[in-house]
Amino acid sequence: MRAHHVPSAELEVLLDPDATAWKSAGGEELKLEGTPLGMQLTAHIRAAWAGRKIGSVEQVSVAAVHDGQVLAFRLEWSAANGGVEPSDNHEFPDGAAVVLPSSPEAPIITMGAPGVAVNAWYWRADGEGARHVVAEGLGSSRTLDVELVRGRGAWKDGRWRVVIARALRVDTPEPIAQLEPGTETGFGVAVWDGTQGERAGIKAFSGPLWLELQLDAVPETTR
Amino acid sequence: MVMDLNKCIGCQTCTIACKRLWTRDEGMDYQWWNTVNTMPGRGTPRDWEQMGGGFQDGKARPGKLPSRRDFGEAWEFNHEEVFHGGKGDSVHLQVKGEEPDWGPNWDEDQGAGEYPNAYYFYLPRICNHCTHPACLEACPRKAIEKRQEDGVVLINEDRCRGYRFCMEACPYKKIYFNHAEKVSQKCIFCFPRIEQGVANACARQCPGRVRFVGYRDDEEGPIWKLVDKWKAALPLHPEYGTDPNVFYVPPLAPPRFDEKGDVDESKPRIPDEYLVSLFGPKVLDVLALMKSEMAKTRAGEKSELMDLLIAYRWKDMFGGFDRDPATIEWVKS
Ligand code: SF4
Ligand code: SF4
Repeated sequence: MRAHHVPSAELEVLLDPDATAWKSAGGEELKLEGTPLGMQLTAHIRAAWAGRKIGSVEQVSVAAVHDGQVLAFRLEWSAANGGVEPSDNHEFPDGAAVVLPSSPEAPIITMGAPGVAVNAWYWRADGEGARHVVAEGLGSSRTLDVELVRGRGAWKDGRWRVVIARALRVDTPEPIAQLEPGTETGFGVAVWDGTQGERAGIKAFSGPLWLELQLDAVPETTR
Repeated sequence: MVMDLNKCIGCQTCTIACKRLWTRDEGMDYQWWNTVNTMPGRGTPRDWEQMGGGFQDGKARPGKLPSRRDFGEAWEFNHEEVFHGGKGDSVHLQVKGEEPDWGPNWDEDQGAGEYPNAYYFYLPRICNHCTHPACLEACPRKAIEKRQEDGVVLINEDRCRGYRFCMEACPYKKIYFNHAEKVSQKCIFCFPRIEQGVANACARQCPGRVRFVGYRDDEEGPIWKLVDKWKAALPLHPEYGTDPNVFYVPPLAPPRFDEKGDVDESKPRIPDEYLVSLFGPKVLDVLALMKSEMAKTRAGEKSELMDLLIAYRWKDMFGGFDRDPATIEWVKS
């Protein structure tokens, strides 16, 4: 998939899924699959989800743009009840994340491994703000901050449209993905259907291998 | 902790002591880390014993998430109207909005059985700070810890992401979800007090002298004596497999009456099967032991067990955690 270069834009503008920047972005339909039961981290979760469908969102449409400074993903999928704010104990918020390798060897299927991190940009529908997360293996994820990643979701007519964005490069010693226009990176997406009790490792994801994202080079004239 | 069910008067002082100390912040209004219910009854949350969780044959058993209504919502009352609206004579205190159909200890004092042999007793409950905590083992974020030094089971709210697997897994349904903070919360066994040698608020405030505190392996303390030496206190629902660290001295009921109104010692007033369903088969041994120790004291002999349970000296109930909290300057961090 391509992350199309767009003219320099305000982050606030990019967070609007209808912004002009997205018009030329195209996008791709991605098939999602449920995370395997055997990879769920605790015996309790495995027992509770044995025989239950994991990954209720089967398809997500993804587009990406960058303006040389910020990379933004737009995810869209069907969700019957997305407009409802969870208020009881058995109700969970919908969510979505983009995951990127912090180093090229990091495995996506296990959310990284010790010493080879992955970097997740995580949005949740309960107004929590977006999280900037690194993980070095299943269950090891740690929130770095809730400022750098921005996310905004709008639910309408049975469909979520969510934009998740972050600066391409961030000055930090943390093992995050540092991105460069004109290069390629792996990426993956995950979607949680909170109405089906999906949370944590119970989710739909783009699969055990990295997908490819080609970041357009910044055209000479605009440098 | 050991709780002597023969002495609990259902006054809820423990419940309120806990509430005032720990669950007054936002999102905690429906939380009662300590509950006291009339038994037999549906309990708090409603029908929690049918919600699964814990372990069966050593394997994790799936559980249900109790709803806020199952716990009982924190009702809002018309205080304004009654106390400040000048209508004190015509309006009575009532719940605002929808008529509630459940709350903590909703079935208070209903009990079971037929007059004149009706029966009930009170069952106070907190988190059991289990040795095999289902909550801890269910959490994929390792956000729950059982402290090495004192066995207290605590949720780290910085690691918790509100997934509530702990709430599903705890067979005692002693985890509450805070919808404002979006984290799970539970009884902390008053660890800031314990660290200072002060017994839990529920225990210190109890007018019935129901609650004993201390380390299980302290042979000078009341817990070891009641649980291990005398084997007079048992965990609730041991079959849930979590190995609780709260133990109960089971209730001995007054004798039954027969049709003529005479005392009938042939059958117990609280059916044995019911107590066995709560505390396991060993409960019958405990009841027999208590009866024989009571008979001893009636005959003028000494019984260490009865002396312990009577708790002549209040401070002896606290296994060394008997410091007066008023002697400490507490700082809220
Ligand atoms: S009673 Fe429940 S919450 Fe408390 S330690 Fe045991 S399993 Fe965990
Ligand atoms: S304070 Fe003591 S007597 Fe009163 S309800 Fe609680 S445990 Fe029972």
